[in-house]
Amino acid sequence: MTEVMSGPAPYIYVSTRMRVRKAKLIQREEYLRMLNMGLPEFTRTIEEMEYKREVDELSASFGGVDLIENALSWNLAKEYQRIIALAPGEMKGFTRDYLHKWDIQNILTILRGKVQGLSEGKIRAVLVPAGELDATVLDRLLTESSVERIIETLPQKQMAAILSAGLSDALETHSFGKLENELYKYYYATLIKAARGGMKGGLPFFKYVVFEIDIKNITNLFRIRAQGKPDVSTSDIWVEGGSYNADELERLCSVAGLDEVVDTLKKKVKSPVLIEALESLREKKPIYAIEGMLITAQLNQMDNVSKRNPFSISPLLVYLERKKYEVANLRALARGKEAGLASEVLEKYLVM
Amino acid sequence: MAIETMTVEAAQAMAVGYKAIGAGLAVGLAGVGTGMGEMGIGAAAVGATAEDRDMFGLALLFTVLPETIVIFGLVIALLLLF
Repeated sequence: MTEVMSGPAPYIYVSTRMRVRKAKLIQREEYLRMLNMGLPEFTRTIEEMEYKREVDELSASFGGVDLIENALSWNLAKEYQRIIALAPGEMKGFTRDYLHKWDIQNILTILRGKVQGLSEGKIRAVLVPAGELDATVLDRLLTESSVERIIETLPQKQMAAILSAGLSDALETHSFGKLENELYKYYYATLIKAARGGMKGGLPFFKYVVFEIDIKNITNLFRIRAQGKPDVSTSDIWVEGGSYNADELERLCSVAGLDEVVDTLKKKVKSPVLIEALESLREKKPIYAIEGMLITAQLNQMDNVSKRNPFSISPLLVYLERKKYEVANLRALARGKEAGLASEVLEKYLVM
Repeated sequence: MAIETMTVEAAQAMAVGYKAIGAGLAVGLAGVGTGMGEMGIGAAAVGATAEDRDMFGLALLFTVLPETIVIFGLVIALLLLF
């Protein structure tokens, strides 16, 4: 079918829908109320929310917290597929490219699960078919006899080539970390290529991708620093395309003072939201707190960009990310409550 | 040369013609402006209503607001013609 494009109207239509959906997401006050609920009350609340249909569908196969977790994942996957269907023209391409990271996550989950000898059911339970690879393709990959066969039958050939190149090393070292880094580098390179391809709406998308790469690199930098001085080179983990180059980040890993790290990072940043987040990192904090602050800075920056570009890809990306963290928060609450964690502890891990 | 030979009747007829063109432009351009204004509002209104049916009334109200511009054009056209 030939797509009929008439000016900015399709962008306005989708952007408005995303804004309405974002407004319906769970607010901070609701999370604080949920923190004080017991597990049964929390479960009932989830069942009465947007997740009702998935809870009903999966209630025959799962129970308890597993049911909530699977319903949340399925809802997220379905929601993302619906958004791809809604997005017009170039926006659809950007959305598909952006959601490609779920394919990476799913493939790595399958490979890790297979190598560890987990059952198909257990691996399937943690998959989120929110990317290009839908549930049918993932199910087919799950039934393959070996990891080599999974890679051979993977429909995305470029991803398969990266996996083939690093598989033997991953199997020898029993770690898929390096392979994961390579896949994410490929993912961000694809996003930058799409954003700079001269398509309408590419500039706000490009700016956002650069910001996301910066956040990822800063998060990795603080993770490495939290582990102490690394005994191996970390040069292969940095994602190119952001504001910082690999040499600079590598050097910052071994710098003793936090002030120098923050000052160096601040020099290349223009976003007030990120500058504020970096300023607060001058004090030594646990890594989960740093990650939480950077995620919040990322989401706030996305909000700012979407306000400046109200009819672009930005409102859609904001919703995708906010929805992801809503699901992550609810999952953390469900698992945390099941494990009997105090609400003060759980609150620290929520992105609100 | 043409003006020198024009009769009073012909000049009056030409004035009526220019008025009619002016009135047509006033209504037509106001209509185009309204259409352009309604394009964005209409798209957003349909998007908002698709997500939440309760927004229909408010969305419809916002969509018809730019139609006042056509009324301005119509008033100018009527003033020109009568």
